[in-house]
Amino acid sequence: MDKKLATYICTGCGIGDALDIEQLSKVAQKECKAALVKTHPCLCGQEGVAMLKGDIQNEGVNCLMIAACSPRVMYDVFRFDGCLVDRVNLREQVAWSQKPGDEDTQMMAEDYLRISAAKIGKMDPPEPYKPEEEISKDILIVGGGVAGLTAAKEVSKAGYKAVLVEREKELGGFQRKVAKIATFPYKGIKDNDVESLVQDVSKDGNITVYTGAKIEKTVGGPGVFKVSIAQSGAVKEHKVGAIVMAAGWKPYDPAQLDPKLGYGQSPNVITNVQFEEMVKNGGAKRPSDGGALANVAFLQCAGQRDPEKLPYCSSVCCTTSLKQAIFIKETSPEANVFIVFKEMRTPGQAEDLYRRAQEEGVIFIRCQDPQVKASGAGVTVEALDDLLGETVVLEDLDLVVLATGMVPVTAFGEDYAQVRARMRAGETEQKKEEEELEVPQDAILVSDILNLEYRQGPELPGLRYGFPDSHFICFPYETRRTGIYAAGCVRRPMGVAAAFEDGAGAAMKAIQCVEMVSQGKAVHPRAGDMSFPEFFMQRCTQCKRCTEECPFGAINEDEKGNPLPQPTRCRRCGVCMGACPERIISFKNYSVGMIGEMIKSIEVPEEDEEKPRIVVLACENDAYPALDMAGLRRMSYNAWVRVIPMRCLGSMNLIFIADALSKGIDGVLLLGCKYGDDYQCHFVKGSELANIRLSKVKETLDRLVLESDRVRFETVAISDYDKLPKILDDFAETLEGVGPNPYKGF
Amino acid sequence: MSIKVDPNLMKDLKHFGMKDGSKCFHCGNCTAVCPLSETGTPFPRKLVKYAQMGLKEKLLQSSEPWLCYYCGNCSDNCPRGADPGETMMVLRRYLTSQYDWTGFSRKFYTSEKFEIMAVIVTGLIVGVLMLLIHGEFDWQHASLEKAWPAHGMEIADLIMASILSFFLLTNVYRFIKFTMGDLLTKIPLRIYASQAKELVLHFLTQKRWAKCEDRTQWVIHLLMMTGYTTAFILVAVLLAGGLAVLGLTWEPLRFQRPFDPVLGRDIEYPLFHPIRLLGYYATIAVLIGATYALIGRFRKSKAPYKNSHGTDWMFLVLLELTVITGISVHILRLLDIPFATYAMYILHLMIAVPMLVLEVPFSKWSHLAYRPIAAYLKGVKEKYFAEVQGQTAEAPAAEPAQAEA
Repeated sequence: MDKKLATYICTGCGIGDALDIEQLSKVAQKECKAALVKTHPCLCGQEGVAMLKGDIQNEGVNCLMIAACSPRVMYDVFRFDGCLVDRVNLREQVAWSQKPGDEDTQMMAEDYLRISAAKIGKMDPPEPYKPEEEISKDILIVGGGVAGLTAAKEVSKAGYKAVLVEREKELGGFQRKVAKIATFPYKGIKDNDVESLVQDVSKDGNITVYTGAKIEKTVGGPGVFKVSIAQSGAVKEHKVGAIVMAAGWKPYDPAQLDPKLGYGQSPNVITNVQFEEMVKNGGAKRPSDGGALANVAFLQCAGQRDPEKLPYCSSVCCTTSLKQAIFIKETSPEANVFIVFKEMRTPGQAEDLYRRAQEEGVIFIRCQDPQVKASGAGVTVEALDDLLGETVVLEDLDLVVLATGMVPVTAFGEDYAQVRARMRAGETEQKKEEEELEVPQDAILVSDILNLEYRQGPELPGLRYGFPDSHFICFPYETRRTGIYAAGCVRRPMGVAAAFEDGAGAAMKAIQCVEMVSQGKAVHPRAGDMSFPEFFMQRCTQCKRCTEECPFGAINEDEKGNPLPQPTRCRRCGVCMGACPERIISFKNYSVGMIGEMIKSIEVPEEDEEKPRIVVLACENDAYPALDMAGLRRMSYNAWVRVIPMRCLGSMNLIFIADALSKGIDGVLLLGCKYGDDYQCHFVKGSELANIRLSKVKETLDRLVLESDRVRFETVAISDYDKLPKILDDFAETLEGVGPNPYKGF
Repeated sequence: MSIKVDPNLMKDLKHFGMKDGSKCFHCGNCTAVCPLSETGTPFPRKLVKYAQMGLKEKLLQSSEPWLCYYCGNCSDNCPRGADPGETMMVLRRYLTSQYDWTGFSRKFYTSEKFEIMAVIVTGLIVGVLMLLIHGEFDWQHASLEKAWPAHGMEIADLIMASILSFFLLTNVYRFIKFTMGDLLTKIPLRIYASQAKELVLHFLTQKRWAKCEDRTQWVIHLLMMTGYTTAFILVAVLLAGGLAVLGLTWEPLRFQRPFDPVLGRDIEYPLFHPIRLLGYYATIAVLIGATYALIGRFRKSKAPYKNSHGTDWMFLVLLELTVITGISVHILRLLDIPFATYAMYILHLMIAVPMLVLEVPFSKWSHLAYRPIAAYLKGVKEKYFAEVQGQTAEAPAAEPAQAEA
């Protein structure tokens, strides 16, 4: 593309008052080589935009450097098809956060223009990725429970085709075992009508149903998945575009429970799941002799919220016990029903069911540590009531129901890390000795659900407790495998009402995915991005850093260890680009060379000018907006910093630091997201990887006789904007102590 | 110590008006907003828990229900709609029936049919007795003194008062025994004596009630209380001018006008005669109070009036009718219509007497004793514990076990 660059400087919002615009225009003209430099008092207004459009049409401008507000605002106004647009953030990060009219402020603005020019110079318009094979828009649904059935129904309703695979002989999932359900509006209990959902799905022409079947193999990526489904000896192959994973849950194994809960000591101590089965098979009776129930106790948190057993709250067991208690009260009103609970957790409107149970006369005892004493058929529960401060004894119980929790099916199976270790043990000894970065492995269990042919493992990586989601608050349904969306109890413990919603939600995500992929666009979180990583394979050394580090397992590998990128699986974060020691991975509009040029374009004053320079590589998802917010609140910070946004800090290549320091830049600050269990990285572990890489750079720095203090890594959340000025000022102060970079002027 | 839950108590309490108590999930907002709840005697949440768990013994030992004046703050602030104020009211009804050893109270509370029958039967007995035992009916002039001489009525009053006191006092004794337990004899008499004036003060002023946010209830109650007490003194004590049986009378205080043989009719007091004025005050005060409460209960205007048990209606209706028939007797007598006066007088007593005999020892009205005594005993206990603590502070090793108590 023949580039014709035009620079537009907006003087509105205080930019014109803080900066010498004329001087800035000169920089754009002379140093940035802009063919056209214009200023406007309100560039985002109708008149301003009309001017830009006019220049594109009449002057043949195809590269626009818009020096105005943050790229995080007005992005829809400054979007011009077929043009390269770069936004220079003169408002939030210069005019609003620096001293107006100051020499340093002016220098900062000028540097940002140079950086932008360097960026545009290295950018090419992205071309969408089109796989060779035809893209399928069909959606595979794994699991025929409430969530899976709903997903299939919704997919069909939206005009797409669905393939539903259920392991059991019949559709319906766990709900098949359930007689009564607790759902909206939670005023009472209702008959289970999963059968009508099963009928809807079975009759639907858009849905192909496999029961008693399993997925043997899943190959490919979004749009081009090839799924082998084994059913009664035969294997069928389907091409699908996206997958909804609603494989469900298993009840926590009661045999693992603390013996003081009495499981196994009397036939009259059962679990909530056994209660459901009992009701379905002829009603609630005393298990030992089929007698009527006069006294029943429910014990909540049987294993849940116990770090030794099931460390999390299963969220449905309270509602389930309420449902079962109400059932007993409705069938035998004279029965005494007790619920012994730690805390009653009835999310959402299920609170009404709690109230209903109270009205029915169910007695609630708050106790952290109840004890079941069983002698033959006679069962007693002793519970220290928190509110009374005394021990309550429930005698002559006909039935004790232990409310056990939900375990996702993905939490079963061997740890894939062990499988890999076994495989490696077979390989030659010296390969094991290879010097490798210690990248923490994802928790993948061989649970035999999807059997992905992915280099990083055959199933979805778990985040915590074996749940395969990637961020349950910010990004529901997302997993760490692109195009595969978790729904229902495999995603998080939930009741039927939530499972219906989940099925529909995940179906919508899957449809979004196939549509985006068919246009060559990225899905969440860089939805719509048309760039994708390209590998310059001639220089690849088969080091496997990219295949190891990709947070989404997007890159497979051939036998020789060459990476086999699967662009439709890619989220375009650039972690592979940051990981590659040979720097052979680049995007059309984001590359190692481009960032290198941007860093090199920063003007470094001579040592005697006493104007140090700090390059800030900031994650554009959290750190960059936090810097904007600091400006928005008119917080001022150090004038030596030059911020360069990163798609993800994980795309930080060590060469950037070398580039900066060899240019005479005094220090490099990396601003990434928080990582660990409560991570907030959009790409799961980008900032963590950047930090790990940093452990290597310090050695290099020491070898170059450069102080390792010159590079600092900080994590910030978007809400940490108030801490940013201090972080930046502190770093500047440290650098002052270290002294100027000796490479200045080289 | 372990506790056995009795799920049947809540079912039983339904007869006493319990509706929403089971909905309580023990957040404690009620106790937090209650201006009367104190650290030593927290309520209402604690009592709701006792009720939910069916802890009858603990309820019997609690005097807290009588320390609550039902301003309704708790019910208004309950996030659960569990109406803790009403639960306290229910517990007062229940406890009244528990203190009563005859079992009559329980029947009265739990069966509306029994309640109405009891009132009717007592009324009829009164009516029949009045028709059987009377003096001379003067058909020329309305003379109550001739028909039912004050001296005779006074004897009847005394009989009624002794029966009533016997039942009330025995019940009160049981109430004290339940709530005080071992402390009853452990606390030295001098502490009881030193707090005695509090008992009178609480009886006369219900001063705790003044701490409630809604003071209207307190004022209305004071009107009714002072009105009725005045009426009671006039009718029961001063009917014949004192204790005529013992010859202790003072004519000017005599409530029932003496018959003047010269005039041939009962003497009328001048309009501004203190006794007449007191009578008017009593009438008006009770009329205002009872009417306010009746309208409130009809309209369910505020929390304390939202739920009305049969006994609440019975009490107010009898009170209102007593006042109305009382006014009617007064007017008819002034108009000098003999037959109507006598008839109305019989009717008046047919209403007033059952109210006293049934309500005071066995039902709602017994609170006139339980409330001031509960407040008084609370003071006694606090003083006692303060002393015990003071002693152990001086001699820490002396008797730690006692401090525990």
